[in-house]
Amino acid sequence: MKTTLAIFGVVCGCLMLPPPAAAQDAPALSIRPFVFGTIQSFTATDTFNAVFGQSYDPFFGGGVQVVIHDKFVVELGASRFKKTGERAFISNGQSFGLGIPLTATIVPFEITAGYRFKLSPRVRPYVAAGLGTYKYTETSQFNDTGEDVDVRHAGFVLNGGADFRLQTWISVGADVQYTRVTGIIGSAGVSQQAGEDDLGGVAARFKLIVGR
Amino acid sequence: MLRFRAGTFGAAFAGAAALVLSLKGQTSSARPPLDIQDVGLAAVEEPGAALWSDARAEQRLKLARTVTGAGAASRVGVFHRTYTPGRVIVRFRDDVAVSERRSIARFGSGTAEVIPRSNYADFDVVQIDPSEDPEAVAVALNTRSEVVYAQPAYQMHADFVPNDPQYSTLQWNLPLVDLEKAWDIQPQAGSTVTVAVIDSGMAFRTGTITVNIPSFRFQGRTYPALGVQTIPFAAASQLVGGTNTSRIVAPFDVISSGVNPPIDLEGHGTHVSGTIGQLTNDGLGTAGVAFNVKLMPVKALGSLWDVVFGSAPFIGGSDDDVARAIRYAADNGAKVINMSLGSSGPPNCASNSTQLGCSPVIEAAIRYAVCVGAKTTSCSGSGVFVVVAGGNEFEDVDPDFGANPTSVLAEIASRIDGAISVASVGPDKTRSFFSSTGNYIEIAAPGGTSRGFGRGGFVFQQTFDFCFSDTFDLPNPSCTGNYGPPRFDVLASIGYTGTSMAAPHVSGIAAMLIQQGITDPVAIEKALEATATKLTANPDNCPRGQTPAAGRTCSFGAGLVDARNALRGLGIAK
Repeated sequence: MKTTLAIFGVVCGCLMLPPPAAAQDAPALSIRPFVFGTIQSFTATDTFNAVFGQSYDPFFGGGVQVVIHDKFVVELGASRFKKTGERAFISNGQSFGLGIPLTATIVPFEITAGYRFKLSPRVRPYVAAGLGTYKYTETSQFNDTGEDVDVRHAGFVLNGGADFRLQTWISVGADVQYTRVTGIIGSAGVSQQAGEDDLGGVAARFKLIVGR
Repeated sequence: MLRFRAGTFGAAFAGAAALVLSLKGQTSSARPPLDIQDVGLAAVEEPGAALWSDARAEQRLKLARTVTGAGAASRVGVFHRTYTPGRVIVRFRDDVAVSERRSIARFGSGTAEVIPRSNYADFDVVQIDPSEDPEAVAVALNTRSEVVYAQPAYQMHADFVPNDPQYSTLQWNLPLVDLEKAWDIQPQAGSTVTVAVIDSGMAFRTGTITVNIPSFRFQGRTYPALGVQTIPFAAASQLVGGTNTSRIVAPFDVISSGVNPPIDLEGHGTHVSGTIGQLTNDGLGTAGVAFNVKLMPVKALGSLWDVVFGSAPFIGGSDDDVARAIRYAADNGAKVINMSLGSSGPPNCASNSTQLGCSPVIEAAIRYAVCVGAKTTSCSGSGVFVVVAGGNEFEDVDPDFGANPTSVLAEIASRIDGAISVASVGPDKTRSFFSSTGNYIEIAAPGGTSRGFGRGGFVFQQTFDFCFSDTFDLPNPSCTGNYGPPRFDVLASIGYTGTSMAAPHVSGIAAMLIQQGITDPVAIEKALEATATKLTANPDNCPRGQTPAAGRTCSFGAGLVDARNALRGLGIAK
């Protein structure tokens, strides 16, 4: 509770700061590279719990935003998740780890388009939607030829959050992103046992943006 | 001198009913303890070379030993090679001073330390934080001109191929269920798990029995009295030999309520035990599935010699003895129970378990064993996985239950999650001619066949040489001599067939699965069935009115058990 209040106070304080001159004079077209980190809570909770012992994990990546008239934004982003867990088996909701290392990698490439609201000179809430292509690889100890997984599949993205301009060229952003990626898991493996076919989830993303 | 025991040993109960046996001068109602002396000579081993001299040249003496494990000491790299975390192997150029090497290594990792070079090495080992990716460190170091090469410390292993000489020449059955790769995954082979073998006993100790052998009549033949004889018996060296002498856990003879030790006087239980856990990679005889497993001999089946010696009332076992044996095993530490036994009965015990021919006492005992949770009179709390032979009666016509009659125990197992019924396949993965079919069959395993493959169709394990144990069968063309006192101290690799032989494959794999991490009997059954290799049954020979569940057949259930697939478990997507 104290933390929430502290964050709220900081945000309110920042909103009351005088805007940098540049913020009041946004260019018609702004190209803004960014890096970001996310904590994603996977929709396939039982699957990820069985293999990794938890169903939330970080992604790290970067991308570029194209902002038009400070209203419209198109964002291209790429990120990566890689983690080693263990092969498992699920029965009646109980998971059993088998101690055989399994490494999974997810590499999303996402493009979204959205609208930015002018809440204050420094803060731009936004909503966006888009598509992504998701590369998924999975490998395990003792695998034979052909037993690794290396697939790519499309999914869709929804996100909403806000950018906060710290300085003329530096902004930070935070948003919540929902992804749905079907067609990669669910037809075999633990995910099939768990009845889960969505490799997406809900992520809290934190961005550091460079550009006006 | 080929020795096979062709026949259907899963039908011990049924067979007993057909025997005509009368004893003279001996009552079976009061069974005195056997006069056993724990002094005797070690088993007379009939070397495999004598039996299979033509095959010696084929022996694959690969001294293979796996050095990989599935624990935290290994990780998997980009190309799924396993490496040891926390170290990178680096070959610096010779002109790079030792003092410079640390700073160069630090280019790859901020935690890098060059540890003193070992003997017989022209490279250095750089220690890094175990959480770091040594492949990434190696890639970074390989960009440096001072480095000839850098690589993670990948681990090497050989596919485990036992060096037991008859493994490669006789044991088609173990590769058929992909055991070599399973042993790679789990070299411990079930060392922490106890498997109870409810059977005719086990050759687990050495001594003599002094007994008066009366005249008796068996299968229409009258045998003369032999008087007081000292009968030697011996532990099977391939079960309790070597360094594994402590593997026998809580042996018990249910028939005598523990008065007698569960000594095998028939050979069936010893053979079954061998498939489950015969000592392996010791350069001797044949191999077993879970070769480090602990074994619990629980004798519930009497043999002819038990009857003659007065240690059992009849050949075979009774429902009460079998039920007590199940409960004994569950209460004394067994995690797997193997029951290579059965009898025919009505097909509809599920809907009316109290009708004649059904065995509710055994059903209750299996449910008791399988049950997890708090211990009660109906729940052992032990969570024991129960494996039952599927029956050998496909070609039989039972006077009461017709052709291909239902195996009562297997049918019970099929209705209990955590218990499994096992059909038999031959070397070509087709149904063994004797293997019963029905919608109660849940999985298949190698049980062999005496048709079409010669000796190559049998399942070989160490047990009694029946030329010495089954002297009531003498003279016969495979042996020399005539009827005389039996010996249970002459052992050899003997071929048997039957679903009795199929079941212990599944029991051994289940033991390995428990050691691998799947401890719940319901989950074990699911895992075995989910990872089985689908087999096509053409025709499926389902009994009239029966249809198999989706994805199953009446001949093979979910398919042929696959040890490697079961132990590997499942990934996220595959």
